[in-house]
Amino acid sequence: MHSRFRSSMRITIAIALAATALVPALAQGQKATKSWSMPKTPDGVPDLQGYWTNNSYTPLERPKDVTKEFYTKDELKVVEKAAAAREAEQTEPGTVADVHYDFTQFGLDRSQTRLTENMRTSMIIDPPDGKLPAVTAEGQKRAADRAAERRAQGAQYDKVQNIVLGSRCIFMNAGPPMMPPGYNPAYQIVQGPGVVMILIEMLHEVRVIPTDGRPHAPASVRSWLGDARGHWEGDTLVVETTNFNDKAAFRGASENMKVVERFTRLSDDEIRYQFTVTDPSTWERPWTAQMPFAKINGPIFEHACHEGNYGIANTLAGARLAEKKATEDAAKKGGDATKKTGDK
Amino acid sequence: MHPRLVGTIVLAVGLLVPLLISAQGPSPTAAYRAPRTKDGKPNINGVWQALNEANWDLEGHGAAPGPFWQLGAEFAVPPSLGVVEGGTIPYKPEALQKRKTNFADRMHLDPEVKCYLPGVPRAMYMPHPFQIVQSTDYTMMAFEYAGALRTIYMNKQQAPADSWMGWSNGRWEGETLVIDTTDFNDQSWFDRAGNFHSEALHVVERLTPASPDHLNYEATIEDPNVFTRPWKISMPLYRRVDRNAQILEFKCVEFAEDVIYGALRKVPLK
Amino acid sequence: MRLMSRIAITSMLVALAAAPLWAHHAFSSEFDVAKPITLKGTLTKWEMINPHSWFHLDVKNPDGTVTQWMIEGGSPNTLIRLGVTKYTVKLGTELTIEGYQAKEASNKAVGRNFILADGTRLFLSLSGAVPGSGAPEK
Repeated sequence: MHSRFRSSMRITIAIALAATALVPALAQGQKATKSWSMPKTPDGVPDLQGYWTNNSYTPLERPKDVTKEFYTKDELKVVEKAAAAREAEQTEPGTVADVHYDFTQFGLDRSQTRLTENMRTSMIIDPPDGKLPAVTAEGQKRAADRAAERRAQGAQYDKVQNIVLGSRCIFMNAGPPMMPPGYNPAYQIVQGPGVVMILIEMLHEVRVIPTDGRPHAPASVRSWLGDARGHWEGDTLVVETTNFNDKAAFRGASENMKVVERFTRLSDDEIRYQFTVTDPSTWERPWTAQMPFAKINGPIFEHACHEGNYGIANTLAGARLAEKKATEDAAKKGGDATKKTGDK
Repeated sequence: MHPRLVGTIVLAVGLLVPLLISAQGPSPTAAYRAPRTKDGKPNINGVWQALNEANWDLEGHGAAPGPFWQLGAEFAVPPSLGVVEGGTIPYKPEALQKRKTNFADRMHLDPEVKCYLPGVPRAMYMPHPFQIVQSTDYTMMAFEYAGALRTIYMNKQQAPADSWMGWSNGRWEGETLVIDTTDFNDQSWFDRAGNFHSEALHVVERLTPASPDHLNYEATIEDPNVFTRPWKISMPLYRRVDRNAQILEFKCVEFAEDVIYGALRKVPLK
Repeated sequence: MRLMSRIAITSMLVALAAAPLWAHHAFSSEFDVAKPITLKGTLTKWEMINPHSWFHLDVKNPDGTVTQWMIEGGSPNTLIRLGVTKYTVKLGTELTIEGYQAKEASNKAVGRNFILADGTRLFLSLSGAVPGSGAPEK
């Protein structure tokens, strides 16, 4: 079934794509330090506007056998090429991994969106070992309680509420903090007087961040994306977000999590994005991570995920059909001693 | 010039000017000039909300019971003079029949029940506030309901594909923001009463600041598959002047999932 | 200069998620790995929607009847940034689909590969679509 065609074509394409994606990064590195001044909006604040991506192969935590903070340029090339080839790898027909449209055909593998240039071995810059701090006893108990609650709800396809949040089109990478999604890693920033708006492509999330000094909403007003308040410190936009609900649970966090993000435009082409997560009921200490946002072409097309979510209905219907068939097969096998299928 | 002729001309102009102004809709007799943004455009930044019953039914209607008697007066239909100029929506006969069947089954068919995107112009008169953020190249409208968003391109762009909220190009004509929206899918409704459209929908809106705290809003709706001619709605949009007014988060997917998927549960909901 | 050891690279790759793993799991619950199919049909509609797009095809059966199939593909959003529009794939385009049938319906499938009449795979061979060029033109 075209398997030889697939393997040679795909790897060739993947390597060509990986090489193409690296070109802008190299060009940037070799650019002479021309004097660049911070562009300002008509209201006189730093201009962060445009379309951006945080597309990256950099993991949140430093990999197990890596101890240094930065790769060399050559090491990074090897790492990115290998990761791109892995994404475009052929899947074996008849395996579970093959039951999916091919990402590269739809431009959805990471090598087909501009890769941000990041020499770091992890996004986490503090703690200095590049790893998450220890989880508190309270955080561990909360994780165990959440897992137990999930198990008590039954199997994944018993009802839609048991399916993972991203598949239900409820919550994914918007955070804050804004993490790279698996694909469509696109953002748009628009600034008006006293407000910064960030549009996150996946699930079409909109963050409207006032910078006019108003207080946070009352503690009783909780939400998935929390309540954000921004202000300028020199040329850096600092955004503090609180008022999370207890379901957003970023990396196991509680509703008391506070996220402080810092956006600094470094050039025409790049914004440095840094965030600090503080949640004493989950981590022993605050932790900080950093990633570049690089400029891309637009547009961001409407990501009406819930509206187009045929897959949920298809999957639930398939599960019900399988149960019905199992019941019928058991009935055929002999009437009274029917084994109940997986019910909870 | 003869003084009496001058006097006649002055009188004629004096009578005509207020007529010309009032012909544009419910505005005060002197045209209001909004403060400007730093790049010289009328400033319509802020949090706005319609204060009417258009989302129940665009056409005028009396009070009516709601679909669930258990909710008593709380979910009954409030009365409205209507927002359609001329009173009724000019449906083609077969389309009017479809509006009737939509209405009869509205609790299953209304996209709002399922937390689907509201489309245009319905987003503008949902019972939730929305926020306008103006930059030079974009006028963004962020809606509290379902986190819906409209991107109004101020440098005309062509739509790549069809969508729930359509594709909007905007330009300023004096004090009025004119928004031209096309490339809709056929999925959204105009209200809870089953008023609908096809993929051929074309909406032209005019937003005009009329005072520091309200805009005059008009939308001309055209769809040759459904209506016999274009028709227009109009209403004020009021600024939310509450202290620290902001749009909040109304992620309603969780509230709607059992409506959509409840019948597919392993243990069906009753 | 010494490059990273092979072990370091391997463990780094392991740390990276190539794509959300849950996505693959959900697909094998929606479509049946034991029911691979190859179909040839003509495109009647490409729903450019999220989270996944859907291709509607008229497929001629051996007995001469026609079945309307729905084939799942990827989100169109990155393709749109690469220049693809609703006019790119013409209605009536002949497509061969290699994929897996849905568990709950006989005329739905996920398309692993979408192959045009000339043997190339859809979108990868479009002139004007330049993969990897997401950086804006200077």
